[in-house]
Amino acid sequence: MEGKERKEQKKHQHKHSGPKAQKKNKKKQSGQEPEQDARKRNPKAFAVQSAVRMARTFHRTQDIKTRKHHIPLVDRAPLEPPPIVVVVVGPPKVGKSTLIRCLVKNYTRQKLGDICGPVTIVSGKKRRLTFIECPNDINSMIDVAKVADLVLMLIDASFGFEMETFEFLNICQVHGFPRIMGVLTHLDSFKNSKALNKTKKRLKHRFWTEVYQGAKLFYLSGMVYGEYQLREVKNLGRFISVMKFRQLVWQTSHPYVLADRMEDLTNPEDVRQDPKCDRTVCLYGYLRGTFLKNKGQVHIPGVGDFGVGDVSFLPDPCPLPATQKKRALNEKERMIYAPMAGVGGVVYDKDAVYIDMPGGHAKQLQEEMRPTTELVQSLIGTHATLDAKMAASKVSLFTDREALTQEEVEVSGAKQGPTESQVWDPEAKRQRRKAIFAGQDEEKDDEDEGEDSDDDDGEEEEDEDEEEEEEDEDSEEEEEEEEEEGDKNESGPPLVKKSEDVEKEEVKEADVPSVKRQKVEEVKRKAEKEVVAEVPAFADSDDELEKSEAEEESGEEESEDEEEQVKGKVPADSGHCSEEEGAEEEEEDDDDEEEEEGESGDEEEDEDSEMEEETSNAEVPQKKAKGPKVTTQQHEEEEEEEEEELSYDTEGALRWKQGLAQKAAEAFLRRQQATPNLRKLVYGTVAEEDGELEEEEVGGLFKVSRPEKGKRLRADAMDCSRFELDASHDWDQEEMLASIKDCFVTGKWEGDKDAATLLKEDDELYGDFEDLETGEVHQGESGAAGAEGGSDEDDDGNRDEDEEEKPQVKFDDQEIQKNKRLEKKRKMKERFNSAYDDGDGDATYFDDLKDEMKKQADLNRAEFENVDDETRVQYEGFRPGMYVRMEIPSLPCEFVTNFDPHYPIILGSLGGSEGNVGYVQMRLKKHRWHGKILKTRDPLIVSMGWRRFQTIPLYYIEDHNGRQRLLKYTPEHMHCGATIWGPITPQGTGFLAVQSVAGTKAGFRIAATGVVLDLDKSVTIVKKLKLIGYPYKIFKNTSFIQGMFNTVLEVAKFEGASIRTVSGIKGQIKKALRTPAGAFRASFEDRLLMSDIVFLRSWYPVTVPQLYNPVTSMLLPPGEKDSWAGMRTLGQLKFDTGVRNKPNKDSLYKQQQAKGKTPRDLVRPAVIREPHERQVAQLLHALGTVYGTKRKVARTEMRAKHKDFLKQKEQQEEEKQKRLKEEKKKLYRIMGQKEGKKLKSSLKGRAKDD
Amino acid sequence: MASQGMTYEGCNFFRQRLILATLSGKRVKIRNIRSRDDNPGLRDFEASFIRLLDKITNGSQIEINQTGTVLFYQPGLLYGGSVEHDCNTQRSVGYYLEALLMLAPFMKNSLKAVLKGVTNDQNDPSVDLLKATAVPLMKKFGIDVGVEIKVTKRGMAPGGGGEVLFTCPVRRTIRPIQISDPGKIKRIRGTAYSVRVSPQMANRIVDSARSILNKFIPDIYIYTDHMKGANSGKSPGFGLTLVAETLNGTFLAAEMVSPPQGQEPMLPEDLGKACAKQLLEEVYRGGCVDSNNQSLALLYMMLGQQDVSKIMLGPLSPYTIEFLRHIRDFFQIMFKIETKAPVEDEERKGGEKVLMTCVGSGYTNISKTTK
Repeated sequence: MEGKERKEQKKHQHKHSGPKAQKKNKKKQSGQEPEQDARKRNPKAFAVQSAVRMARTFHRTQDIKTRKHHIPLVDRAPLEPPPIVVVVVGPPKVGKSTLIRCLVKNYTRQKLGDICGPVTIVSGKKRRLTFIECPNDINSMIDVAKVADLVLMLIDASFGFEMETFEFLNICQVHGFPRIMGVLTHLDSFKNSKALNKTKKRLKHRFWTEVYQGAKLFYLSGMVYGEYQLREVKNLGRFISVMKFRQLVWQTSHPYVLADRMEDLTNPEDVRQDPKCDRTVCLYGYLRGTFLKNKGQVHIPGVGDFGVGDVSFLPDPCPLPATQKKRALNEKERMIYAPMAGVGGVVYDKDAVYIDMPGGHAKQLQEEMRPTTELVQSLIGTHATLDAKMAASKVSLFTDREALTQEEVEVSGAKQGPTESQVWDPEAKRQRRKAIFAGQDEEKDDEDEGEDSDDDDGEEEEDEDEEEEEEDEDSEEEEEEEEEEGDKNESGPPLVKKSEDVEKEEVKEADVPSVKRQKVEEVKRKAEKEVVAEVPAFADSDDELEKSEAEEESGEEESEDEEEQVKGKVPADSGHCSEEEGAEEEEEDDDDEEEEEGESGDEEEDEDSEMEEETSNAEVPQKKAKGPKVTTQQHEEEEEEEEEELSYDTEGALRWKQGLAQKAAEAFLRRQQATPNLRKLVYGTVAEEDGELEEEEVGGLFKVSRPEKGKRLRADAMDCSRFELDASHDWDQEEMLASIKDCFVTGKWEGDKDAATLLKEDDELYGDFEDLETGEVHQGESGAAGAEGGSDEDDDGNRDEDEEEKPQVKFDDQEIQKNKRLEKKRKMKERFNSAYDDGDGDATYFDDLKDEMKKQADLNRAEFENVDDETRVQYEGFRPGMYVRMEIPSLPCEFVTNFDPHYPIILGSLGGSEGNVGYVQMRLKKHRWHGKILKTRDPLIVSMGWRRFQTIPLYYIEDHNGRQRLLKYTPEHMHCGATIWGPITPQGTGFLAVQSVAGTKAGFRIAATGVVLDLDKSVTIVKKLKLIGYPYKIFKNTSFIQGMFNTVLEVAKFEGASIRTVSGIKGQIKKALRTPAGAFRASFEDRLLMSDIVFLRSWYPVTVPQLYNPVTSMLLPPGEKDSWAGMRTLGQLKFDTGVRNKPNKDSLYKQQQAKGKTPRDLVRPAVIREPHERQVAQLLHALGTVYGTKRKVARTEMRAKHKDFLKQKEQQEEEKQKRLKEEKKKLYRIMGQKEGKKLKSSLKGRAKDD
Repeated sequence: MASQGMTYEGCNFFRQRLILATLSGKRVKIRNIRSRDDNPGLRDFEASFIRLLDKITNGSQIEINQTGTVLFYQPGLLYGGSVEHDCNTQRSVGYYLEALLMLAPFMKNSLKAVLKGVTNDQNDPSVDLLKATAVPLMKKFGIDVGVEIKVTKRGMAPGGGGEVLFTCPVRRTIRPIQISDPGKIKRIRGTAYSVRVSPQMANRIVDSARSILNKFIPDIYIYTDHMKGANSGKSPGFGLTLVAETLNGTFLAAEMVSPPQGQEPMLPEDLGKACAKQLLEEVYRGGCVDSNNQSLALLYMMLGQQDVSKIMLGPLSPYTIEFLRHIRDFFQIMFKIETKAPVEDEERKGGEKVLMTCVGSGYTNISKTTK
């Protein structure tokens, strides 16, 4: 892109006269002096002073040099690039539409009314621009950031930055950073120039920190008649036209289309029967990014993924000027194309061209200055031309049902013409005034001024604040935000007012449903009308093909192929095969056959007689003569086969099988050699092999229906990559062997690579010896050279010599020759040296790489340069810059019914497996301006690749051992991992996340940003799980633990796992115990206590919820497109339904009763005595002490005495007791004796008695 | 959501379809697999191939109906890593290895596969052949360091018992190539191997092969490789692989294997001669890639960055032609095919050549992790 734009610089004009020229001349004349460079003249000044310093400077220069390097990429920019997408972004009421209108007017001298959909214009000799206005809706902001090349970021200077601006900048950062240019508007509201300058400076610096230092910020100072000043707009336009763009990775790897036209192709009958049926829709636009393959998959942000039915390219509706010589564009070349806004000269369709004739530009401008007149004009114009065109192109459009279509035309005409002219014109004036942006601006300007003055005051205050706080940037940012919020609150009343306005408008419904809406309907109606007209044309779109067929019949084979490609028929074979095609092919064959019967007859005979002897050499010319006649060959083969078949029949049933593959290969090879166009064989038509095999099969083995069987055989053949030998080649024959002789180094070499020739050339270049040997040896040398086909020079020499016949005599001539040769040699050497030095001195790895890339780029450009587009598209795909028409079947009906052209429609192509869903691992960081941290399992809306979708992320952090541990919340200022279930997107793709896209909420909406790291079909995130158990029996270091598991099996799974007590004693699970279930024996490093708690730390794998919910904001009715709401977070859900968790009672905060204070005892102060009294007291105390001691001593003494006394007394008592005992003993003995005597005597006495 | 799928019929080109489906991420359904056969449904070797595919991918879904005549395949992500696979002996390891060669550079982890089974048979390109031709071919596409095919054990046709180690690094992108001049053949190398037969067989093969090739070039060396004991597999047999190397680094190869035990035996002299002739045929066909690896080269070209790649090939084999059609089905990429007829009487360099040109699809290996 840029390369093309580069202008040749004006060269410096050397002075030819005057003092300067004289001085120079003098210098030149004086001699060699100036040639010597300073380094030679004054070597001392350039001597090395300090090696260290030299090394440092060297390092520094190298550093600077390498810092400039970017990885060289192959420049794949197309020769004719698509229009550059210029996106105008900004908060509402900042002047976006006005700016676009002014720019369009600046470029094309045409006034636009409503900016409805993309507006494409030719801005210069080599550049086109597409302007889009970005609605103030985060969905659109995200979509638009993905396709923008240049962003014009409008900032209301009277208000300062708004949140949207920063949000958009952050969106851009994530999705590749397009060029961003700031534009300050509403600068006229500043009355004070000092304040103005201050504001400019402040805004500029803030803008710079966001984009880059020195980013361009444009100032649009004021409005003149509702438009920006001409000079400023012109300057801005110039800036845009010379801007260079860089390639963004995502865009260069994904083709995309920014649709600027939409058409509903659904059969109206289907719609009538079921208004909700899926629609077939055609979307038009310039293809951007890279090559687009047909039949791919696209994602339409806000709608979903769709398979593309068909892609075709159309002539450019807004072409660049054909000739490049002029300085500026003339009026005709200043094209504008905005079909959604109803502007555009020529509208192409697949088989029709609609010309919009709005009359002369100049005339129009004079007639009506109001913006929307163009629309009406163009509509009327279109109507007229359509009519004319329909009449003219009746043949192509309405082949079969003329009467019907005629009616339709009439009806539509009748409907359209009068209604438009009547209804629109008188009322429109009023309407337009009101609803149109510019008009509104004019009106509202008064109001705005009021607001502005208010704002100004606020602004000034702000400024003062700002000045105070300027030191700390970061704090400033936050402060600013706060201020902005504050401002928003302040500006409450005007907002309300506006909404009132809106209400009023709605009330008036009939006349003021806002122009934008009306236009939508208009476009829709137009589209429908077109559809009505077009449907039949589509239905029998063959006519084009017929035409092409007719052409091709006269043409060559290649074009036939194309035609087949156009038809989109799959080449037939095995799985691919389609029956009709075969039939068709056969028909063709028949034709061919008829033409060539004579020839083929001959050939048949040939073939029959000799199989081996027919070498390829003989064959090739034959075929060449015949051109595209593949078929004859087949017939030959068929014939052949049949004959062979006969022989098989006689010889044996199974023999045919042996050579089958070989023969097939053989035949195949021959055919292949024969076909001048292999492309047809590969992609074009049925491989005729089927036919042969069919026949064979049937004849040889079964009696089964033909076509099926043949196919089956081919389809179920052995899957083998071997390429069988060609039986026609007999490698025993010398002829055959000779045919490959030159494939070996021993064979003959090409002229330029032949060793002898090369040697010769070398001689010429470097052979100094030649001069020495001129005399005698010259003859022999040149003779040899001549024999080998030497160079011209030598030939010349020879000739000269021959002519003169006496070289010795004519010495002068020889001398001249010699000198000439010497001169030539010197020149060559110089050239070589310079080339060598230049090439090798600077050539680094980087340069080599760049060269390589350049070579590749050149090859890419050159390879398909001369191929016509139709064919080229098949090889390359549709190349960027083409205007394409994409037909998408089965779009939801809401897309059509709720279509709003103000919202950008993007068709982003999906590569390879990007249509699939899987687990996507990402590195994520919560945005530092987002208020809250994010919670795992809370749904989040992610914008990644082309898509916007809601999903449920799990956050994790990677531990040092590679374990991915689940986090409940995102860390505050750190990256963390996140895994989602979402579309497969290449690694390195950036993404951003928002919590909701509905409405505008206070605060910064972008919740997180990050990059895709890995894709997988399974996840390895784990969550920490602690199992708790209690000891119920403790031995020394062994304990029995229960409560951790429930069964023996569970324990068995954890045998050997390490466990720990809360107090830190480590241990290991040993073995399960039989009872109680789940108990186990564990050993620890120390004895446990019964009060210890044992826990086992384990990791539990978590599953990622499989929610992938594309944001379908485009399907919502117009006006509600920014209100898409998906799954709610748990918190929201609870809040909305009023559900509250029942908290644990213990966790609740209770009213704490303060305890009453307990009064302390009174403390009496000590008695204060007079010195005398003190002495007395001391004496008394001393006396008391003495007395006390005395008493103590006396008491101890007395106690001792008393003790002695008690002892004595005890002794005495003891003795007394002893004595008494003795006495008693004596007494009792005596008494006992007496008793005994008495008893004895009594016994005696009785005995005496007895 | 999932991308559109393809439907095919019949078991032919079974590998191509599954490979391309895996690379493109599109589902594929194959119906009527040998539905009319006496023994309908998938064969063991195909089932084994599916199992191998399942081993190297993550999240693939494979459904086969009761009779095995319908196969549905939803590809997962190519995973790679260490894989060990017992290849069915109905087909040789080459059958599986060809597929692995196509998939290996696009995996998450570099592949290290141990394939066990028949290393050489008459149907498929043998391991030796792939080692001699496919590895240098991959180098041209930038897959150079760490590609290795190593025959640790040799196993002949019916019994098998061979073992092959295949390692391959992963690449994020494949670089485009432009090779239109194969160059002249500077040397011929080869391996004559024999297992469980007399070691003399190999020498006999060498002599007979040389007798033919010596007419063209003197620089011929054919190694004899006689494997013994545990390394010799379960069946006897012998064979020869010949490789012609050109100045520009093109390798053209031919091979011949003795018929499996039980079938009519073949004299080693005949085998040597036949193989040499086959090499001559290969040379006649010419091109910068030998006929077995055409599809591999085309696949890499097609999967390259969005740049023009060119390659000169010999006549396209039927397998390659079908492969081209499948490529168009799965990737919507068509090759520009130009026939280059040999110049009469000037150069005797064999038959017609085909110049294949394509614009790469800009494929990137989405399995490879970035960190």
